[in-house]
Amino acid sequence: MLELRISERTFGQPVLGEISAKIERGDRICLLGPSGIGKTTLLNAIAGLDETIPAKTMIGAVKLRVGYLFQEHRLLPWRTLSANIQLVGATFQEAAGYLASVGLKGYEHYLPDQLSLGMARRAALARCLAVKPDLLLLDEPFASLDPVMAGGLKVLIAGIMDANPGMAMICVTHDGDDAEILANRLWYLDGKPARLQWDDRVGESGLIDGVLKRLRHKLEDS
Amino acid sequence: MSNRSGSPPAWSYWVVLPLFVLLWAVVAWLLKTPLLPTPLDVLDTVIREAVSGELWHHLGATLGRVIVAFALAMLLGTAIGVAMGRSKTTNALFDPMLVLLLNLPALVTIILMYVWFGLVEVAAVIAVVINKVPNVAVTVREGARSLDHRLEEMATVYDFTRWQRFREVWVPQLFPYLMAATRGGLALIWKIVLVVELLGRSNGIGFQLHLAFQVFDVAAILAYSLAFIAVVQLLELAILQPLERRSSRWRQPETAHA
Repeated sequence: MLELRISERTFGQPVLGEISAKIERGDRICLLGPSGIGKTTLLNAIAGLDETIPAKTMIGAVKLRVGYLFQEHRLLPWRTLSANIQLVGATFQEAAGYLASVGLKGYEHYLPDQLSLGMARRAALARCLAVKPDLLLLDEPFASLDPVMAGGLKVLIAGIMDANPGMAMICVTHDGDDAEILANRLWYLDGKPARLQWDDRVGESGLIDGVLKRLRHKLEDS
Repeated sequence: MSNRSGSPPAWSYWVVLPLFVLLWAVVAWLLKTPLLPTPLDVLDTVIREAVSGELWHHLGATLGRVIVAFALAMLLGTAIGVAMGRSKTTNALFDPMLVLLLNLPALVTIILMYVWFGLVEVAAVIAVVINKVPNVAVTVREGARSLDHRLEEMATVYDFTRWQRFREVWVPQLFPYLMAATRGGLALIWKIVLVVELLGRSNGIGFQLHLAFQVFDVAAILAYSLAFIAVVQLLELAILQPLERRSSRWRQPETAHA
């Protein structure tokens, strides 16, 4: 679906090295790696936010529709949830539908700051879905949530991916367990400048265990 | 901002101002000079001028100039301020000019405009605008510099149009700065407009003050000044404060859920 090609650029400090990968529809990629290595930088580059790191993320000449769940909710605090979602091109009815699909039925007229962290993140996820994304980018979606909230969100995201087989996902996480539930493909970003050390599909049985074991060692060492 | 820290309780106005008027009345009564009319004399003058229609004519002329100059200054100042806050190059180009203009006495601009363009309405309004634009630009520049880059990124990812970005992302963040510029603007502009009128127009409060000054009619001077102070306060109460309350509603969220 998408050819990701990042050419190394050094501005003072090299952040990302050369990275190239093919992303297919239905890919559920978990992007792992030590903290501070540049996982968010990579997501930003894919989303077209980082002008210093040109990433070619096009299908032909058409720009990919990207839904980006940032670490913060980044909803406009002066707009209601429905207004926030309508801003990316949905009608009120559709916005209410997307909110309901993330468990926020009836919250259309709430302001983002009236919500808990977990609910605000779900609302931001609803906005991601409202653009009918080809590619869903999730930056540590489970960070600072309590285990119940995080578990619920994991199930929700897995359900969204099941329901949209044409969509691809890249999810930044620290946690191998997240990957076990969500991923069918693992990226491990490390080195200086950071490159994809592994790019493994974990579809075939047996492989996933080995990869995750390797990963746990790696994460524990770092 | 409507509840500025350090602002006194409302009752203080109802105590201090009447006391001041009383003191004024006592002093005027003791001195018995036309150079300090009593509050009642001034009120008489206000009523007489209002009934004759003179007051409304001149009040209207001044208010018209204030509104036009204010609108132009806000538009220009906001555009320049945003451009300066967003771009280092623009800032480098405009900043020296701002420093120059901020230190240029209003009187100089007014005289120059009248000399260059003649004693016409356009010259009067341009003079006021030139005096106000730098203040607005400096205030708005601070706001533009503090725009949240995270919301910018969000707007980029979700392909906001230029208008959406301006209306939905920038204006709400700039709002406190725009309000500060508005408040300072109204106070400054009407004072400059009076000078402009005094020097080269044939109507308006400033013109009336000029006439009264020539015959030492202190009652008229006070009557026209107080009438305009009342108008400016009315603008504050009827337009600015409701606007501010409405636009900052989102800042006071109800108790958080779950």
